[in-house]
Amino acid sequence: MRSETMTATKKISLTINGKVCAGEPGQTILEIARANDIYIPTLCYLKGLTSWGGCRLCIVEIVGSPKIVPSCATPAVDGSKIITDSPRLHGLRKATLELLFSERNHICPMCPYNKGDCGLQHQGYLHGINNVRYQYLYPAMPVDLTAKYFGIDHNRCILCGRCVRTCDEIQGVHTLDVAYRGIRNQVVVDMLKKFSESETCTSCGACVANCPTGAFFDKAAAFRGPLASCQTVLTTCTECPLGCGLKVFVKENRIVNVWGDPDSPVNRGHLCVKGRYETWAEPRERITQPLLRDKDGKLQPATWDNAIATIRKAAKAAKKTEKALLVAPRVTNETAQTITKFTGKVDRLAMYVTANEAALCSEPSFNADAMRKLEDADAIIIIGAQPSRDNGVVAARIRTTVRKREAKLLIFHARKSDLDQYANICAHEVSLEHQFWNEVAAVLEGAQKPAILYGPNAMTPIGVTVMERLIKIFEGHPGGQAPTLIGLPVGTNSLALAGAGIEAIEDVGPWLDAKPLKFLHIVASDAPDGGAGLLDEKYVSDLLNQIPCVVVQAGYRSALTDKAAVVLPATIWCEKSGTITNLEGRRLSLRPVLPVSGEAREDAAILESVFA
Amino acid sequence: MKKTIGKKVTKKTTRPAAKAAAAPAAPAKVRVATMWLSGCSGCHMSFLDLDERLVGLMKLIDILFSPIVDTKVKDMPQVDVGIVEGCVNNTDQEHELRMLRDRCKILIALGDCACTGNIPALRNQFTLKDCLARAYEQAESNRISCIPNDPLVPKLYPKARPLQEVVKVDLSIPGCPPDADTIWYALTELLAGRMPQWTEKNLRYD
Repeated sequence: MRSETMTATKKISLTINGKVCAGEPGQTILEIARANDIYIPTLCYLKGLTSWGGCRLCIVEIVGSPKIVPSCATPAVDGSKIITDSPRLHGLRKATLELLFSERNHICPMCPYNKGDCGLQHQGYLHGINNVRYQYLYPAMPVDLTAKYFGIDHNRCILCGRCVRTCDEIQGVHTLDVAYRGIRNQVVVDMLKKFSESETCTSCGACVANCPTGAFFDKAAAFRGPLASCQTVLTTCTECPLGCGLKVFVKENRIVNVWGDPDSPVNRGHLCVKGRYETWAEPRERITQPLLRDKDGKLQPATWDNAIATIRKAAKAAKKTEKALLVAPRVTNETAQTITKFTGKVDRLAMYVTANEAALCSEPSFNADAMRKLEDADAIIIIGAQPSRDNGVVAARIRTTVRKREAKLLIFHARKSDLDQYANICAHEVSLEHQFWNEVAAVLEGAQKPAILYGPNAMTPIGVTVMERLIKIFEGHPGGQAPTLIGLPVGTNSLALAGAGIEAIEDVGPWLDAKPLKFLHIVASDAPDGGAGLLDEKYVSDLLNQIPCVVVQAGYRSALTDKAAVVLPATIWCEKSGTITNLEGRRLSLRPVLPVSGEAREDAAILESVFA
Repeated sequence: MKKTIGKKVTKKTTRPAAKAAAAPAAPAKVRVATMWLSGCSGCHMSFLDLDERLVGLMKLIDILFSPIVDTKVKDMPQVDVGIVEGCVNNTDQEHELRMLRDRCKILIALGDCACTGNIPALRNQFTLKDCLARAYEQAESNRISCIPNDPLVPKLYPKARPLQEVVKVDLSIPGCPPDADTIWYALTELLAGRMPQWTEKNLRYD
C-alpha cells in the first residue's frame, strides 16, 4: 500500500458512520477509516502486509448492499456509505470471536502474552465476551520449541496468517506457510519441518513480534512480565553499520524484550537475529569491575583507583614510541573524539577492521537513504559483501525487492548464501570471459534504477575489476541511470571513525610488530566476542604475550580479557549513550536502557582517566 | 430432572434480591451456596478478598453451604444463588453440580475453570489413560506407582468440561481468578435485580 508514491489523480470521498472521509483511490475502507480515526476491530490485518481478509472482524456494512464485506480487503468506492458498528455487525463479530476461542486451547492464565499483550483477548474484552456459546473442541495441538530463541504453540494460534505474511513479505524467506485443510489447517515450517530442521529460517523473530496472540513467543521474554506493563526505550542497534532502530521493553531494570522501532526510517520495525536476540537473549559473561593481575598471574578484582594507578605507572615506564592504542570499529562518535585527543600520547593509534575493509575506510562514503533506494532498485548487484550473514535487514530488503518487485539480482565475488537462489547471475568466482560479461550486460539491459552494494571484498583486485566492468556496462546503456553505490562495511562505525581520522588496519600483527611495544591499550568496547577475534591469528596472539602491559577495556569476558594485565569494565549497548553514523550517514542516537551494571564506565570516560 | 424449575424461578429470584438491596432491613436474605469442583480454590480466595465489603454483603446474603463456611446443614439446602468454582472432572462433581442446579435459582460459573475448563481442561488433549499413567505411574515424585482404584474414588471423565456443558449456567464470571472487584460488581448487580454488563473495563480472562 504505497499510496504516497501513487500519482494523486483524484481524491475519493465516502461517508463512514455519518462522517465524511477523504481517501486516495485504491485505498481500502479500513485504511481510510483508520486515517480518519474511526476504529474497526482487526486481528489478521497488519499495516505493511498485504490484506488477507481472514479473521472477519473488520466486517462493515455498505448502505444499499445486503452483503457485509471485510473492510481490510475491500477498496473504497467514491460516494459509498459505510457503517462500521451495528447490532448485526457486533453479533457477527462476537460469534466469530467465540468460534476462535472455542476452536483451540486458549488458556489465558498460562500464556506468556496475557495481561494486555494479546490481540484476541483484547477483542474478547471489547466485545464483552464473558462466556463462549460454542462447545470447546480442545484439540491436541503440537508445540515446537526447537527454535533457539522462540517457540510456537499451535494451541494459541488463530490462523490469522500474520506470521506467514511477515516471513514472506518482510523477511522474504517464506519459511512459514499453512498446511492442511479445514479444522486441520495449521501454520507449518518449511515443508512440515521443525524449526531446528529448517534451512530457510533466519531466526529474525519478526513472526513473534507480529503474532497477535501468544502462539509465537520469545523464550527469553516469556513470563517476564506483560510487554504492556513495560517501559519502552528507543535506541539504536550497534551490531552492524545499518543502525536499526530498537524498541526495548524494560521492567524492573531488566530487558524483557527487544523489537524493531516501527518509526525508524532505517529498518521500519524489522530486525535480524543479531539485534533482536543475540544482544540480550544470549548468555554472555559481563565484566563489572576492574581486574588486575596479581603476583601469581591471576586476574583479581581491584578498585578503579588501583587499576588506573597501575596503568599509569606502566604507561609512564614506557617511552612514547613503545605505546599504542587499538580500537574496535564499533565505538561511538563521541568516543572517537576523545580518542583522537590522545593521538599525541601514543606512538600508534588505529582501529582493527576486517580484511579489505581498510580500503573501504580510506574514502568513507555514505549513501543517504540507501535503504529506500535499495527497495526501489530494479537491479541489485552485490560485490564482495555478505548481507545475509552481516546485515540481516539489508538481506531482507534485497529478498523482498527481488522476490516481490522482480528486481534483478547479481552476486559477484561473495560467499555462498541463501540469496544465491534468487540471483539471476551468481558468480562466487568471477570469470573474465566475454561471454560471461555479455550475459551480465544482457541481464542488466534496461535497468533504470540499479543499486550496487559493495562490501570490503569489493576492494580486492577482483572486486575492482567487477566494479569497472559494471560501470562500463552502465555507461554503455543509452540514457541509463548511473547505479547507486552503497558501501557496506562490516565494522559498525568504521566509516565514521575513519572520517574522524582514526587509521584502519587489517593486519594487526605487523602493526604491533613494527616497533617493540611495552604498553598496549585495547578498546574492545561491547564487541560480543570481547575482542577475542584479535587472537585468531597466532602471530598477534604471540605478540600480545610479549607486551608487558596490555590493558583491555571490554564489556564482556573473553580470551582477550583473560590475557590482559589490566581489564577495565566498559558499558554495553543498553547502557551507552552517544551516536553512531550508519551507512546512510545518519547520526543515530544510543540511549541508555538500563542503569550501568556494576562499576562499568563509558569508553570515553575510561580513556580520559587512562590518558588524560 | 427438574431443570425447568431453575428457568422459571430465575425471574422470581431477582425480585427478593432487588427488595433486599432497596431495603437492607428486610428480613429475607438471599440464600447462597458455593461449591468448588476442579479448581484451585483461587476463586473462593478472591471472594474472600472482598475484605470489609464482606461485612456489608453478609447483611444481604446468607451462605448456607460452602467449603469456606462452617456448614451446619447435612444436606444441600434450597438456595437462591449457587456459585460454582472449577469445572466438572469426575462423576462426583457432576452429581454435586446437578444437585446444586436443581436446588438453586441462579447458577453462577465463577472463574475460568467453571467457564472454559481452563487449566484442568489441559488434560483434554490427552487420553485419560495417558493422564493417569503420567500422574500416578510416571511422575518423578511417585514412590509407589498405582492408579487409585478404590470404588469410593470418583471416576474421572475422559474430558474435563466447563459447567455450561453439563447444566444451564445463568451467569459466567471469567477470570483466573476474577478480581474481588469483579465479583463485587456482579453480586451487587444481581442483588439490585440487574444482570451484570461486561465491558473491557471489568472483563479479564487471566
